[in-house]
Amino acid sequence: MGLNRNVSLNTGLQYKGREPMLTFVLHRIGGLGIVVFVGTHILSSFIGGQLGHAGNVVYESWIFQIIIFFCATFHAINGLRITILDLWPPLIEHQREAIWIEFAVFIPLYLIAVYVIIHTALGG
Amino acid sequence: MQVTLKIFRFNPEVDKKWHYETYTLDAPETDRILDLLEKVKGHVDGTLSFRRSCAHGVCGSDALRINGRNQLACKTLVRDTGAKITVEPLLGLKVIKDLIVDMKPFFDNYKTVLPYFINDSPLPADGKERLQTIEQRARFDETTKCVLCAACTTSCPSFWGSETYLGPAAFVTAHRFIFDSRDEAASERLHILSETNGVARCHTVYNCTMACPREIQITKAIGEIKLAMITGKLD
Repeated sequence: MGLNRNVSLNTGLQYKGREPMLTFVLHRIGGLGIVVFVGTHILSSFIGGQLGHAGNVVYESWIFQIIIFFCATFHAINGLRITILDLWPPLIEHQREAIWIEFAVFIPLYLIAVYVIIHTALGG
Repeated sequence: MQVTLKIFRFNPEVDKKWHYETYTLDAPETDRILDLLEKVKGHVDGTLSFRRSCAHGVCGSDALRINGRNQLACKTLVRDTGAKITVEPLLGLKVIKDLIVDMKPFFDNYKTVLPYFINDSPLPADGKERLQTIEQRARFDETTKCVLCAACTTSCPSFWGSETYLGPAAFVTAHRFIFDSRDEAASERLHILSETNGVARCHTVYNCTMACPREIQITKAIGEIKLAMITGKLD
């Protein structure tokens, strides 16, 4: 007798793990976004024809590009932070500062990219 | 101050599904969450079940999810949580009753890393102690503080995914012996930790470090184990 140990996605996301937990979740979302992007790209090329063209339209759209740039850039920068901390464990004591640096790099980079994407889309 | 205490309740003999019950109590802000649970059990509802023993942050019995994150009920004050408090059992372990979870998978994982001193060499000439320098002792001092409360392991998303993942507490114990200059089973332990359910599944989420009531730098200890695996050096 007893309750099952299963932890649902919703319950897990409600755990208050603060900044590192947020980066962990965003890293997974980023990875998933990259898979969707690459998958759409490959499928569109593979299928071809009208359906393939429809796929091209989706992943070439500026909204999709804004999302995929978030996924790829965050995934890369966060991966770099984790790699650096993994290779130099003494730095792990400064993990909170490392996350602030990560966001200090990511946010301006992303905002500039979003500006360029929207500017290009609207300007033709 | 008036405190609203929302507690996870599940009685396997009566309930088909878990639910929350809310209690309103008067408590000074210096009261611990454990004091509130004792008040509910002693004066409101004697059927409330939870673990507690020393009540001073040493035995690690009363690790619970308090306001969404793992903490010891005996070390968390009302002034730290505010007037609205939610108390739930640890995640990733089967709930036996109310706030009591089945700790067997946790201790099974703990046993896997050989949590005891191994040295088959003959004793020193005087037959007394295996000496080590202050620096050698300091190398693993941090990880000797673990009280096996399971707050770290049950805050880890990898453990939520699979109870066979050894988890931070087992890694902390492994670290304590791997970096002990007197112990001779470091390579055996590193081999165990290099298996599928070992340190490779640590995704450096830091939940364990932030949940540890003894403030052990758990992720750093895991990082040192990972590095020892790669380099083969224990310095």
